[in-house]
Amino acid sequence: MLGILRRIWGDGASGQVARKRMQFVLMHDRIDITPDMMEAVKNDIIKVLSRYMEIDGGSVKVDLEEGKDFMALISNVQVKRVYRHSTSG
Amino acid sequence: MAGKTIVVTSGKGGVGKTTTVANLGTTLAKKKYNVVLLDTDIGLRNLDVVMGLENRIVYNIVDVIEGKCRKEQAMIRDRKLSNLCMIPAAQTREKNSITEEQMKELCSSLAAEFDYVIIDCPAGIEQGFKNAIAGADTALVVTTPEVSAIRDADRVIGLLEAALVRQISLIINRLNAKMVKKGDMMSTNDIIALLSVPLLGVVPESEEVVVSTNRGVPLVHDRSSKAGAAFRGMAARLNGESIPLDGDSRGFFGRMKRLIWD
Ligand SMILES: Nc1ncnc2c1ncn2[C@@H]1O[C@H](COP(=O)(O)OP(=O)(O)O)[C@@H](O)[C@H]1O
Ligand SMILES: [Mg+2]
Repeated sequence: MLGILRRIWGDGASGQVARKRMQFVLMHDRIDITPDMMEAVKNDIIKVLSRYMEIDGGSVKVDLEEGKDFMALISNVQVKRVYRHSTSG
Repeated sequence: MAGKTIVVTSGKGGVGKTTTVANLGTTLAKKKYNVVLLDTDIGLRNLDVVMGLENRIVYNIVDVIEGKCRKEQAMIRDRKLSNLCMIPAAQTREKNSITEEQMKELCSSLAAEFDYVIIDCPAGIEQGFKNAIAGADTALVVTTPEVSAIRDADRVIGLLEAALVRQISLIINRLNAKMVKKGDMMSTNDIIALLSVPLLGVVPESEEVVVSTNRGVPLVHDRSSKAGAAFRGMAARLNGESIPLDGDSRGFFGRMKRLIWD
């Protein structure tokens, strides 16, 4: 019976399918980032990058994006000029 | 010294909380500890029938909290073990007839008299859940190897951590070893890795559970039951005894030892 179902669904052992799906679902459930927190992340990114380059602070965007089985933080920053000597340290 | 207050919770309903409370409580009482079981599933009382004590109820937990009786009057003594008793839930009241403060008070007054206070939690994450965990210092999260139960368990673990419940461990119930072997059920290790909480024990899927519930006699009374052995192992570990996890599903050697020592 299970053999028939497996042929219909055309994939491997359902335990592994469940495990992979749960990894993704739980990661999502646990990530409970408030807009305030996203704003703080954005400001920290600006702060760190500004040590190395001149950036357009107003252009910075930070988003969480879903991949098929991962989650990515995507940030887009317009760089105006990279400092010749890093100001860090 | 104050006793341990342990809440058995899950998020999802029907995964085995009440069964767990009855069997862990009975095992600890058989070890001569003074144990009280507290049914906080107000409106959906069940622990009384699982324990086979349904026809002795006079007062319930809400009566105690509202001061309609003393807590001793609401305690129903087990039929076999004189050091085991239960306070039933109210059947015709609402979950918000009691507050978290009142539960804390009740739990600490029970912990002053008993070695173990074991709390049966309702399903869900609303007021009934908050009440059930309010007075607990340890939480046992029950899940089955299914996606919805695991997801709910994860949510509940998050809420327990936020409520600063210090000790949280996991019970996996209704594991079907044959299905795991075929790859059609998540394994114990899969589930531990997903939830990242220490494991207290694994209970196999078993017809014995249904039979014992039908009779109103907790499974652990039956020395030959495999699921009963799993509950006994969990109770021992809860009690600080170092029983290995795989000792619960005894092989030939374990059975021999039992024949010799029991
Ligand atoms: N290991 C098991 N094997 C078979 N049936 C089980 C097992 N554990 C629980 N059950 C059955 O599942 C049902 C729900 O169990 P219960 O303990 O009442 O869950 P909960 O209190 O979480 O709602 C009961 O009918 C019980 O007999
Ligand atoms: Mg129940």
